[in-house]
Amino acid sequence: MNTISMAFKNLRKNFSFYALYILSVSLVITVYFAFTSFSMNNVMLEKISGDGRVESMCKAISVFLIAFVIFYMSYSNRFFLRRRTKELGIYALLGYRKESILSLLISENIIIGIFALVMGLVSGAIMHKGIVFGTTVLLNLSIDNAKIPFFNFIAVADTIVFILGVLFVLALSNARFLFKTSLMDLVRFEKSAERSMKFRKISALLGFILIIVGYGLALDIFRGNASLWFSVGFYPTGLMTAMLIVAGTVLFIASFLPYAAQKSKRHKKTFYTETKIVTVPDFIYRIRSNAKTLIMLTLLSAATLTVSSVMALSLFYPIAAVARIAPSELEFRIEEEGQLSGAKLLVSQYAPDNSVTYIQTDIYKVTASAEKLPMEYSVGTSKGSADNENIFREAGFECISYSQYVSLLQAQRRNDIVGKLSVLQDDECILVKYQPNADGSNETGSIYSLNIHDGSIPLTVKATTLNNPISFANSIGTMIVSDNVYEQIKSGTVLENSIVSINGEGIEDNEKLFEDMSDLLDNSPYLQGHSHRVNEIMSASSSTFLLIGFLVVLFFIATGSILYFNNISAVSDSKADYEILSKMGYSNKKLKKILRKQILTFFSIPFLFGLIDCIFATIVYKTGLMQDLLGNTITLYFPTIIAVALTASIYFIYYFVTVHTCYKTVLNA
Amino acid sequence: MPTLLEAKEVTKVYRKSGHPSLNKVSFRVAEGEFIGIMGASGSGKTTLLNVLSTIDTPTSGNIWINNVNLKSLNHTSAADFRRDNLGFIFQEYFLLDSLTIRENIAVPLTLQKLPPKKIENMVRSLAERFGIASQLNKYPGELSGGQRQRASAARAIVKKPSILFADEPTGALDSSSATELLNTLYEANKELQTTILMVTHDAYAASFTKRILIFKDGCIIKEIMNQGNNRRDFYESIAAEITKLDSAR
Ligand SMILES: Nc1ncnc2c1ncn2[C@@H]1O[C@H](COP(=O)(O)OP(=O)(O)O)[C@@H](O)[C@H]1O
Ligand SMILES: [Mg+2]
Repeated sequence: MNTISMAFKNLRKNFSFYALYILSVSLVITVYFAFTSFSMNNVMLEKISGDGRVESMCKAISVFLIAFVIFYMSYSNRFFLRRRTKELGIYALLGYRKESILSLLISENIIIGIFALVMGLVSGAIMHKGIVFGTTVLLNLSIDNAKIPFFNFIAVADTIVFILGVLFVLALSNARFLFKTSLMDLVRFEKSAERSMKFRKISALLGFILIIVGYGLALDIFRGNASLWFSVGFYPTGLMTAMLIVAGTVLFIASFLPYAAQKSKRHKKTFYTETKIVTVPDFIYRIRSNAKTLIMLTLLSAATLTVSSVMALSLFYPIAAVARIAPSELEFRIEEEGQLSGAKLLVSQYAPDNSVTYIQTDIYKVTASAEKLPMEYSVGTSKGSADNENIFREAGFECISYSQYVSLLQAQRRNDIVGKLSVLQDDECILVKYQPNADGSNETGSIYSLNIHDGSIPLTVKATTLNNPISFANSIGTMIVSDNVYEQIKSGTVLENSIVSINGEGIEDNEKLFEDMSDLLDNSPYLQGHSHRVNEIMSASSSTFLLIGFLVVLFFIATGSILYFNNISAVSDSKADYEILSKMGYSNKKLKKILRKQILTFFSIPFLFGLIDCIFATIVYKTGLMQDLLGNTITLYFPTIIAVALTASIYFIYYFVTVHTCYKTVLNA
Repeated sequence: MPTLLEAKEVTKVYRKSGHPSLNKVSFRVAEGEFIGIMGASGSGKTTLLNVLSTIDTPTSGNIWINNVNLKSLNHTSAADFRRDNLGFIFQEYFLLDSLTIRENIAVPLTLQKLPPKKIENMVRSLAERFGIASQLNKYPGELSGGQRQRASAARAIVKKPSILFADEPTGALDSSSATELLNTLYEANKELQTTILMVTHDAYAASFTKRILIFKDGCIIKEIMNQGNNRRDFYESIAAEITKLDSAR
């Protein structure tokens, strides 16, 4: 029988086994091809990157990608070779020369490679189109889809050459393995790890302690300025924490977990049960023989989760902050006569008048006296104290009336906030905060005396709010006073500013209108637009996120597939064990339970560790590196929660598939 | 002695056109018996053991163990039946490699949900009887073949099964380890009244039993009784019988 037809026969016989291999290799090719197509897609790159930033990022990622593809393909090759070794040994015993066995192996790999390449190229092309479509919609780009080919032939050639190159190198390494291994070792190539082992108490404890210290150090950031993060510095402390946690994780998995499992055997009541007596020793054995893989997976999944959570947070945060930075769809300061009517005329060209609201807010600035005035009162009055403006501002509260506040909020469709308001008394005010006080204090209850021409009005702060109705570009230190007090202030104070806020569905997300408005107002820095701001953020950061997204997907595929192969290989290696258990009287139900538990443990170690690391890293990132414009609302963590939930569901799918493949492997025996 | 196991016209055909691996086999095993099954390779010995032990189902015929008709068992109740009534020893030791010897012997008892104290006591006393008490904390990989096989015999006997099935248990052992194991089984049968059904093609191993069924082409062709108490005499008569059968070929 010639080797090609033998290889085909083999493939057919073990279809499900090879289907998996093909599927996993084609998955990697899909990602690789989609990425290569993307980085060669000039139509797209021109749109999202003006300065070559995306191109250089693509280069960096492609290094990662190539490393990953090589690693992944050699891992799965080794895995499949391991599974085939005994069979190959038997061929050798039967008198096949090693050369012909090698050519069998290579033919198999070529067939698999061709299948995987075809599948990978097609699904990669589809994925690439999907990415282009997604980006176009997300960024509102105008792109002629017809100009982007389904198959970019240079990318196809690149992928084919690269994959064939990898396959060639793998064939060489298989050949080396085959010729170096003796006949007997081939046949006896089974689990050979030491069964009896030492348990190192000290490194187990050390692992535990390092992790706790690492997490403690991360939590230290909550002490604010007193913490090491500020006194020693953010980056050295961050590096220290990361090193402690990585070292701790290594020891925890390699020493602490087997040690703890060994100790748990002492608890006879739980250990001498039909499930535990099998799963606990199996766990100890597997974690000892797979510690390296497991540590790598854990670190990989911690990195993946952290990157995706931080990424989600740092994309979401500025967008969520737009509600504060530009609360109205369009907002500007009247600097010249006639600007309001000009603006109205302009807007009417884009939207029917009845779908748009115009609110003019007159702001009066008054000085005040009090024991202690809030930071907002004097912000921007000396150089460098305001965040990004170098325009001097005179100290004072910028007063608007309660009814103006309510109608602005309504126009901005923030009715949930309006619903929670209650009418202000004449001796009360609401203070708009720029950001929450770092020490967690609050001005509520403070009394500020507003100085007006004929005396002073003492006002008690009824509440502070982060829901500013006017952008910071146009008003800081905004104070909302009752309508009566407002009238009183108005009669004797010079008008500070008149702000026009334009809202309405008819003008939403209209870049053209914004441009025209900007022209009309001579590029005034006081023009702010909600949608405009969102679009700006999206187009500035989306390409970064797209590319990091690629990496994250890659990491997911890597972790999931390695977990998958590792479990399948462990379970099929001990197939005989399950047969014995079945003969002893373990029902299929009990065997399934044992399998599920064994697999679940292996999936949960990287996931849970990754999750905890991600939570701590996100906390540190949020507390230490992000501006606190929004306060600590749960909504802020939504993207993180979604990222974690997505990860969890990907893990779950992999777990589910793994469990079912294992059921099939064991119970069909 | 009351009947423990009864097989009636048991037939097993693997391939429709093929020769039956078991052809209308009928026999009885009384409680406390030590019975040997002999026959050439391919004569259907393993097949018989598999259908008797619910691992496989016969094509036709009936089997009763403890008055339970094996036909009436489904997948789950068959597993429970094995748990409660049957013990196994195989040619390969089939110990679980990642468990210590103690844990290996304890597995069937945990399946019966016995309290841990009792499990440990039973394991220890049986290990002493089988001469492996000092090996309890070791892993199977650290033991000799004979010790491993005694451990798996201990695992099979520890739960006091109604009947113990052994498929060529000495097949992979050297002669002194084989003798030790056979003595252990012999004593277990004598002192614990464990009923044993042992497949072997070795006349020496067979001489430890009380009665021998000889198989050929899926049929019982001869039954040899251990008349006296002398094992040597029995061995001679088995050997003579086999030679007779061989020369008849
Ligand atoms: N799973 C099976 N499928 C098909 N034929 C089988 C199977 N198991 C055993 N046989 C056949 O049944 C016959 C008896 O086999 P077996 O009981 O294993 O013999 P022994 O154990 O006496 O050596 C043989 O001819 C064998 O080929
Ligand atoms: Mg057999």
